Amino acid sequence: MANASIAMSGLSIAESEVPVRQDLQDTHRDAWSRIASPGTWLTSERRLAVAAEIRQARDHCAFCREVKAALSPNAARGTHATLGALSAPEIELIHRTVTDPGRLSEKWSQSVLDAGLTDGEYVEIVGLIAMVMMLDTCTMGLGIPDQPLPLPIAGEPARYRPPGARKNAAWLPIVEPADAIDEDGPMYPSPKAGYIYRGLSMVPQSLRDYWAMANCHYLPGQYVYQFDRSIRAISRPQTEIIAARVSALHQCAY
Amino acid sequence: MMLRASAKHTNEAIDLHDVSAGLTDGTKVAHAPLLVAFAEAVVARDSDRIRTARKAIRNAMGDAALVDAAATAAAFHGFTRIADAIGIPYKTAAGGQDAPDVREAAGVNAFYRVQEEMAGR
Repeated sequence: MANASIAMSGLSIAESEVPVRQDLQDTHRDAWSRIASPGTWLTSERRLAVAAEIRQARDHCAFCREVKAALSPNAARGTHATLGALSAPEIELIHRTVTDPGRLSEKWSQSVLDAGLTDGEYVEIVGLIAMVMMLDTCTMGLGIPDQPLPLPIAGEPARYRPPGARKNAAWLPIVEPADAIDEDGPMYPSPKAGYIYRGLSMVPQSLRDYWAMANCHYLPGQYVYQFDRSIRAISRPQTEIIAARVSALHQCAY
Repeated sequence: MMLRASAKHTNEAIDLHDVSAGLTDGTKVAHAPLLVAFAEAVVARDSDRIRTARKAIRNAMGDAALVDAAATAAAFHGFTRIADAIGIPYKTAAGGQDAPDVREAAGVNAFYRVQEEMAGR
């Protein structure tokens, strides 16, 4: 364990050949620090094993490429090429969510849970996938290679389950804004926060970690429906055409 | 859909079909060909295409635009995975403003998850 190692991570975006706005640099540094910290259900070592497996799935799993190319995601038979540090349901969750997210189903999601992953672990891992994919994609777009993973930070998982978490609208439990309590910590900028905002709410810390990043890469919530202005160096329609095309290529119906 | 709503404010034409099928002359957002080429290259993780697209954006729009294009493309590598792995109901997208005809025009109804739902699976 070495907190000092975190100071070395998150800096690679600052080494871009183009100047990167300071808030984005800070966000990357903070996000890697959060990924290396104990989570709600996962230790810091396990969270970093998840991060490593995300890259393994994305870059090195031949079976994932077969699944992706198959007419049906259930048609391919084989095993994932893994780093060997995680359980079978963790591997399945990571590999499928990283490489073929548009063809997941509630039945598949339930099969991952039935194989031995708790719903809290599932949601925390999804949050890590979203964060690592965002971090690595941003740096790749700027021409920067993946930075080495940081070392784990000491500590214990919080093991906090929001009492308001219920399975209703989504495949996994979520905390509706009206059911959030003070002990959950800050979660929603507004009682009208959209369902995408509620997605990780069963693990409030994951929600906070993720949205601290997402707001800085896309737009803070208060600007999302202000279509007549842009706070970025590209116009709002330019932002949205990138967003729409990336989502469509992922076959994301949301 | 956020794209359509934002383009209304700039009076730029949008062909929703381009969202799924790829850019055509029906979409008139400034520098859209450069930005879409960049987004497609990033999703494909094709380093040569990314390098070419990055250079084109820098030349035409500047360094800050490249940073925000990369950040936006990256953000939607996260959003999509949360929506799809948690099973967020897609009909709530864009604050529930995505009407069925918009989804049809954008090609979203052909996506796996919608097809599975329509088939009752």
